[in-house]
Amino acid sequence: MKFASIVGFGTLLPFIGAMAGCGGGGGDGGGATASAPTLVSITVTPANSSLEIGNSGLFTATGTFSDNSAQNLTGSASWSSSATTIAAVSDEAVSKGTVTAVSSGSAMISATVGSIIGSTVVNTTVAAAPVNVMAVTVNGSLCSASSYLNKPCVSVTVCTPDLSVCQTVNDILLDTGSFGLRIFRQLIPNLALSQVASGPGSLTGCVQFADGSSLWGPIQRAAVKLGNEPAVLVPIQVIDSTFGSLPLPCANADPTPVSSGFAGILGVGVLTEDCGPGCVINSSNGVYYRCSGPICVGTTVALADQVQNPVARLPEDNNGLMVQLPAVPVKGVPSLDGSLVLGIGTRANNTPASATVFPTDQNGDIRTIFNSFPTAGFFDTGSNGLFFPNADPAVLPVCPAPNNDWYCPPVARALLATNVGNPGLPTQIVPFNVSNFFTLTNSPNNVFRDIAGPSTFGFDWGLPFFMGRSVYFGIEGKTSNLGAGPYVAY
Amino acid sequence: MDLRVAAAYLCVALVTLSDATGAFATLGERADSIANDSHALSAAAPTTITRAKYSMQELTAETTTVREYLTPEGVVFAVAWNGLVHPDLRVLLGCYDEEYRGALAQQQRLQGRRQKHVRSQRLVVETWGHMRNLQGRAYLPELVPEGVNLYEIR
Repeated sequence: MKFASIVGFGTLLPFIGAMAGCGGGGGDGGGATASAPTLVSITVTPANSSLEIGNSGLFTATGTFSDNSAQNLTGSASWSSSATTIAAVSDEAVSKGTVTAVSSGSAMISATVGSIIGSTVVNTTVAAAPVNVMAVTVNGSLCSASSYLNKPCVSVTVCTPDLSVCQTVNDILLDTGSFGLRIFRQLIPNLALSQVASGPGSLTGCVQFADGSSLWGPIQRAAVKLGNEPAVLVPIQVIDSTFGSLPLPCANADPTPVSSGFAGILGVGVLTEDCGPGCVINSSNGVYYRCSGPICVGTTVALADQVQNPVARLPEDNNGLMVQLPAVPVKGVPSLDGSLVLGIGTRANNTPASATVFPTDQNGDIRTIFNSFPTAGFFDTGSNGLFFPNADPAVLPVCPAPNNDWYCPPVARALLATNVGNPGLPTQIVPFNVSNFFTLTNSPNNVFRDIAGPSTFGFDWGLPFFMGRSVYFGIEGKTSNLGAGPYVAY
Repeated sequence: MDLRVAAAYLCVALVTLSDATGAFATLGERADSIANDSHALSAAAPTTITRAKYSMQELTAETTTVREYLTPEGVVFAVAWNGLVHPDLRVLLGCYDEEYRGALAQQQRLQGRRQKHVRSQRLVVETWGHMRNLQGRAYLPELVPEGVNLYEIR
């Protein structure tokens, strides 16, 4: 590893003649032909290099002798650094000359033999953010101030298709339970995106959520930048309840970010399109409409024109993603910083050391068994708690009104559920905890690990499941070292 | 029981009046309304499964599948669905739709939730799931036959 990082050294500064060891020892002059050659100078390489903080590289000391011969003195020289808090160098026998960048700045690295000293400068630099990492803040700086509990937010940059105008939007809900990017018109009021045509009209989408809410608005092509990845040109939904006229399934379409609780939503689950084959063949699909002026009628849509999971369209890191959140103590925290890492096994930072892979069905579901009751299980960062059916009311009573959509056990409960991959393997028991929602949330904290509530059916592994885990989502039709998508692994 | 059936028939009478506008209804109606639903939901011919305490007819519409649960007397006591979109609840709830809307309007929106539970005086409506597999059910607790496990209704 140490050798590998040396390859990355770049010479950033002009050569400044760092070789200091020119004195002493060389005064024999000519004539003494029988005496051994003496050490004249030491050169330390690589000269004037740079090293990212946290990385190490092996330096070499080369001695030049009075007969002009050269010898590698790395293992015999004594090594030192002028600023060990910036760059440390090892003088131990097994690792002599290994320099580790500690903090930002410059340090002189010296190798000494007797009275001869050779030196060079190493510049330590802050590591550039890997191109495939997006910051996630749960109720943190990327979220709007009035965000609800356990809301994971990212920042996305949206550009016109020719990349001439871009706008970065925060408060985008990270949602592994949906597919594609949707942003309220109010956040990108002057961005001229490219309307997707539907015959003579404008393609318009209606997406419903399981809580009965819906988002309506035109489908437009945008260049979307995720982290520092190259921009991808994909259809997105510009959320706008005033566009055309609302069809029945979107009669309650959210008008503003305040009503929905987010400025936009980034759907990065295991599927590629928001509707899929059902909307290619059926015009009465309830999802896509052709709007001409105020008249909107149901329409079929080719897959390429449907709202796309933008991760699946990345040039390299397109086979999936990983959501990584730190562990959270039982009492919660005010906010939490994590990351969304794009690609699986495509780079050093997204290659799992170990993960159990659960293949999903065509809807992205596995099977979860709780209290002997099997139901569809799914992993959804867009759900702010764990929601599951068939709880014993003596163990998990619901809270008094108005919190009766949450569980309020008198003491913390340690529970078990079993996740089963599709169609029947693998099987793994998942321990989880549920504490009293009312007691927990009666605090200045916003991020909680142990909050849960009832569901009629379906085991919704919401955001608490992700805390203290790296969870991988393998996209359908793609493969990685974890296997063929769709799958979820952790 | 007599009162319930009476209520159900009252519902049918109202629905019959509204048929001309296309507002079909089923919950609380007799089974013959399923033909109406099949038409209104653009569904293929229903398939039927008979259990000891009830029978179930499944209508597969273009992107959503609807299951209607019938008492031995042939009255629809529950409907359940799954698919790309929630079905038109006005069709499925019929004369209970207004009661449902009233209860819904009283309910506080819970941001961050991916399911919903609405209970009114005579009706329960519940939804769950996620994009591309939205699911839900509606039932009339008073009409659920004795001995039927609600976990079968989905």
